[in-house]
Amino acid sequence: MRKKPLIITGIVLVLGAAGIYAYREYNRTNVNLVEVAPDFTVEATALVDEFLANDSVAYNKYRNKILVVQGIVKGVDRVDGDCTVVLGDTVEMSSSVRCLLDSAHVAAGSAFRRGNRVTIKGAITGFKKDDTGLLGSDVELTRCVVEEKK
Amino acid sequence: MKKRVISLTGVLVLLSVLASAQDKFFTKNGRISFVSKGNVETISAKHKGITCVVDSKSGAIQFAVLMKGFEFPKALMQEHFNENYVESDKYPKADFKGQVVNNGDVKYGQDGVYNTKTKGTLTLHGVTKEIEVPGKITVKGGKPQLSADFTILLSDYNIKIPSLVKENISNTVSITVDCALEPLKN
Repeated sequence: MRKKPLIITGIVLVLGAAGIYAYREYNRTNVNLVEVAPDFTVEATALVDEFLANDSVAYNKYRNKILVVQGIVKGVDRVDGDCTVVLGDTVEMSSSVRCLLDSAHVAAGSAFRRGNRVTIKGAITGFKKDDTGLLGSDVELTRCVVEEKK
Repeated sequence: MKKRVISLTGVLVLLSVLASAQDKFFTKNGRISFVSKGNVETISAKHKGITCVVDSKSGAIQFAVLMKGFEFPKALMQEHFNENYVESDKYPKADFKGQVVNNGDVKYGQDGVYNTKTKGTLTLHGVTKEIEVPGKITVKGGKPQLSADFTILLSDYNIKIPSLVKENISNTVSITVDCALEPLKN
């Protein structure tokens, strides 16, 4: 007689826990990278060189990873309130690392000037090889956070 | 005399290179977004880093986008999109290569809004398909801005919707492109 209410309570608890898990999982947003430990720390120019040397090997090494990239600011692109910091050497239209900043870091990134040495952490989205021969190829990072300014 | 001819040739070559570069416009910060309205769920995402190059002289146009750069409001959607639908690890990039069919109607040096028709090939999920896209080029202060709205079918690009959610997710995806271009300086 006493077993039945216990079983019902158990089922309700399990279903409730599953429901809460499903709700949280469904509404989960991307994690803020400030608190995430990086998988790799690399110089911007070295990262670009790895991709230029063999993009499939480099992609397999870095895909889905969190990178800390250090380098010289080549430019800062501001478009519609967003900010992309471009790292690499300072030759125009050469290959670069493009870091699209998280909205909380737009102000910090916007203050960067060409020639500053900076450190940025971000999630790699891949390598965009330049098919036109005009623009340079780019390694792209998203959800980037500014680590420090030296 | 010979030196003068060589210098003159050099200047002409330089001028032609500069003139050719000035015919081209580009951005690496173009916007693209998509919406898929299913019976139960609307799926939408945006991307803030598409690359676009336009040759104003010939009307040749190219776009490239890294699939993992699409941002979704929910992380789970983003994971499913990359892993189960477009298989971003296997097909990391989508691109469009085409031609503004009525490029002669667009006065790149004169402010105005010009309706365009662009034909070309869209490669997505490893499948290349010819498409025709109506759009608009708005020239302001010597800089063109491209915009276009069009739809594609996921089935055309061999993107499979799992049977469990087939009724909830639409096969039709509406795409919006918006690229403010800058002159290409070489």
